[in-house]
Amino acid sequence: MADFVPIHPLGDPEAVSKASSNAGVTFDIPPDLSMVQVFARKGQEDNVIRKLGISDSPRTASSQKSFNALPLSPGQWMLVGNEKDSSKFEAAIAKKVAGIGYVSQQSASRVCFRVSGPKVRDFMSRGCRLDLGESVTSKGYCAQTPIAQIGVLLHQIDEAPTYDLYVYSGFARAFWHWLTETAAQFR
Amino acid sequence: MHRIDCPWCGIRDEAEFQYQGDATKVRPAPDASQDAFFDYVYKRDNPKGWHTEWWHHVGGCRQWVKVVRNTLTHEIHATGAPAEKLSLPRKKKRGSK
Ligand SMILES: [Zn+2]
Repeated sequence: MADFVPIHPLGDPEAVSKASSNAGVTFDIPPDLSMVQVFARKGQEDNVIRKLGISDSPRTASSQKSFNALPLSPGQWMLVGNEKDSSKFEAAIAKKVAGIGYVSQQSASRVCFRVSGPKVRDFMSRGCRLDLGESVTSKGYCAQTPIAQIGVLLHQIDEAPTYDLYVYSGFARAFWHWLTETAAQFR
Repeated sequence: MHRIDCPWCGIRDEAEFQYQGDATKVRPAPDASQDAFFDYVYKRDNPKGWHTEWWHHVGGCRQWVKVVRNTLTHEIHATGAPAEKLSLPRKKKRGSK
């Protein structure tokens, strides 16, 4: 049997960097991200938080040496690591939470769009209902919200600001279409 | 448009939620009568005024949020996690905030 070869949902991720030259809004797809979802077993939420060394805040990401933990729901987090080998990442996290939580591999099921640029706040307000104003959110802010009818996990990674927007891979093309169409007015 | 304060996500637009009905219904014991189950599944009051109800935060954390809402004015008095007991506001003049 032939080996499965993962295909990028956008077909040509190079198009992303081409689309963002000299624009008020810039795009990137960070390479080599590994993602696993962690679920705490019943009553073990605090233990998982302690074991992973993460925050219990439902709206703030925790940065660890090898991953960022993005809160999804009580007792649930998306762990994103800069690790090319997603199986290795999954195994490492699974080992940490053995007995107190579960992990589920998500690396191929999400695409992360990194959005920044001088006009990024105006740009985001075209499709995102959240108040992302300077005085409201800062580095580490995390939220799940629909943008252009598509469920997005949003993570503000710096004060520029830069936002990482995670969508299901199946929506990546549609979302990319919305991103580029909407960015066209912010050159 | 309602603005609903999700205990986990903060204030979000109604569009992110799905209405899930009366939050005061308690499931009868397994050996309860068929009538008791009929009431539990189908029978609902239609109050004019304060109502404790479920809103499912489907567009956010996917948790169920308990909401005390006035069906007449759409004012939201309180929101909380499913296990929380939310009290109704004291009687006051209609239209006052
Ligand atoms: Zn929520």
